[in-house]
Amino acid sequence: MSKKSLRVGLVGRPNTGKSSLFNQLTGMVQKTGNYPGVTMEKKTGLTKLSADVLAEVVDLPGVYSLHPSSADERVVMDALMDVHGEGAIDVVVGVADGTNLKTCLFVFSQAMDLGIPAVLVVTMADEMKHRGMTLDAQALAKTLGVEVHIVNTRKQEWLPELKRAILEAQTSPQTPFFIPQAEYDSWLQPSDTGNRYAAWLKGINHGQNQAAIDATGKRPERLRADEAIQRYRQVNLWLREFWSNNPAEDRRWVTRVDRVLVHPLWGSAILMVILFTVFQLLFYVAEGPMNAIDVGMAELASALSTILPEGFISHLITHGLMPGLSGVLMFIPQIALLFGFIALLEESGYMSRVVFIMDRIMRPFGLSGKSVVPMVSGTACAIPAIMSTRNMENGRERLLAIAVTPFITCSARMPVYALIIGLVIPDVSFIGLNVRGLVFFALYALGFLAALGSSALLNRFMPKASHAPNFLQEMPEYRWPLLRNVGMTIFRRSKNFVNEAGRIIVAISVVLWFAATFGPDHHPDFTEAHEVIPIEESYIGIAGMAMEPLVAPLGYDWKISVAIVSSFVAREVFVGTMAMLYAVGDEGIQSISATLAQQIRPDTQEPMFDLALGVSLLLFYAFAMQCMSTLVVVAREARSWRLALAQFFFMGALAYMFAWAAFVALS
Amino acid sequence: MNLSDLKPGQKAILGAPTQEVSVKLFEMGCLPGEEITMLYAAPFRDPMCFEVQGTKIAMRQAMASIIPVTLCDE
Repeated sequence: MSKKSLRVGLVGRPNTGKSSLFNQLTGMVQKTGNYPGVTMEKKTGLTKLSADVLAEVVDLPGVYSLHPSSADERVVMDALMDVHGEGAIDVVVGVADGTNLKTCLFVFSQAMDLGIPAVLVVTMADEMKHRGMTLDAQALAKTLGVEVHIVNTRKQEWLPELKRAILEAQTSPQTPFFIPQAEYDSWLQPSDTGNRYAAWLKGINHGQNQAAIDATGKRPERLRADEAIQRYRQVNLWLREFWSNNPAEDRRWVTRVDRVLVHPLWGSAILMVILFTVFQLLFYVAEGPMNAIDVGMAELASALSTILPEGFISHLITHGLMPGLSGVLMFIPQIALLFGFIALLEESGYMSRVVFIMDRIMRPFGLSGKSVVPMVSGTACAIPAIMSTRNMENGRERLLAIAVTPFITCSARMPVYALIIGLVIPDVSFIGLNVRGLVFFALYALGFLAALGSSALLNRFMPKASHAPNFLQEMPEYRWPLLRNVGMTIFRRSKNFVNEAGRIIVAISVVLWFAATFGPDHHPDFTEAHEVIPIEESYIGIAGMAMEPLVAPLGYDWKISVAIVSSFVAREVFVGTMAMLYAVGDEGIQSISATLAQQIRPDTQEPMFDLALGVSLLLFYAFAMQCMSTLVVVAREARSWRLALAQFFFMGALAYMFAWAAFVALS
Repeated sequence: MNLSDLKPGQKAILGAPTQEVSVKLFEMGCLPGEEITMLYAAPFRDPMCFEVQGTKIAMRQAMASIIPVTLCDE
């Protein structure tokens, strides 16, 4: 029995509840990948439409029009026209906000004109009712020629009906709602399907067509504008009869709330309080689970070493694999919390207000309000943050944002910070605030300052843009965040991290264990109890000692120098490597921080991890581009290895200078 | 009078932009002939937020200052 399979594409404006619909259709069976040619995140999932039809649902990015205004918007047009040959979209599910139907129907009518079978889902049913708006779905369905379903994405009872509608979806029998006139034939680039609107979309958005400009006397932007005017006229005609937008309902409270949230004084104060609270919570809430994982894994390794028969395998698991795994798992509480907070800010609509108030302030640095989003996301991870710059239409601004985002304190720095702050900063209060929390906040502030400072610097030297940048941003309604959506984001991000970064980290840990356990003259066979070679004679010890003179001025010994080199793969590897390097010579198995606290500086007999070394390390990790993956993503997103390498050396030089100055000043 | 001259709460009818603006503005529903309401502005009156066809759109002063409007009578 072979199952039939359909490809379903979700098309709609941003903030229409498209992601909620996607989550409900696909449940936990979701996959993330990249769209071909761009690093835009592509979410797909499977849903069972009937006993024998399985559908792959693609959550296309939210757009206002199929004509792309930026690189990531192009993805939608390409997917609908199957430009990359991934497989055609069999059914389009249009998602429209019922309280704002007119503008939402714009992009849906474009998708219908491509001749793809379609279904329209009108969301926010509860809010429509609350505001006294009505929609005659049947009459609209008749006019559009496709099924129309009004749903409340907070409930689920409509799901079976929608699945049936997708199965039965047809191409609208109505004539296309916008037909490119015959005089524009020189613009058309016919496609395989023979659809006239597809030929128009392709013609206007694929490269320069001077002949057509000469023939029609119009530039592509002008044609797009003409289409927008005609299409809205059409949409207005449809909706006039079926949709009542009752203006009597009082919406002034939203504007009043907005006026407070974007107020120069109150707005900024609220933003600061929110960010500050997030960081304090991040520190307190994540600390417990992190320590539990750290200690738990150490105990588990200890227990395993007594159970397993002594030998190569036992040593590999307890000293190589387990510390590496611990370094991955320790991250999850923080990643989950941070992505949870970001998702809450986005889902509630507050993030757009942040963009709005920050825009003017960011401009002197060559950035815009939109660069706040990558910068805030950068607190989780520079990689998704740099990828999120794709929706910035201005190429120059985007390049600046890409260049400076790696300065932002990402969650990979957190284990390093947490470990070192725990070691060298006393756990005391200062005017009622935890000093460790304050140091954390200071490091975040430092990251932002470094990012802004270098952006201002770059802005001076980069060639100026030819025309004034566009800044157009929709301010979505305030909505209670759907916990399911926040939960799905947390789950997806954590899973991605374990799958992608986690594998590399564990692999590196095993390689490091090998390099630390074996040496040119040592090949332990593990037949005798605790036969461990002196680490100075291992491969890794030899490499680290060779590099020691370079980092000695910063106060680092060869073990730290080895940890720094290996953590170029990912900063968090530092913690695992330190644990590995300092634990390999030990008899017992302890938690990472306990091991480090016991280290003594050989020349002075003082504790090794004192304030000077601690601050030096903190500053080094605050500035250095210690992340191979970020380097690769920057090169790919900016399409310039020169930028990526310049960034690497610039950040490295800053890190070295600050770490050295701090060590000298404090010791 | 241009869009950038509106005070919070004022309504006006959009005219055709005097210079080339992003087509996205049209596609978001901000078309000549539509009624537009100024809602509020960010610090330094830049950017500004307007409501048109039920959508709240934020744009910079630079763009708002090249879009002529006719003030609606109260």
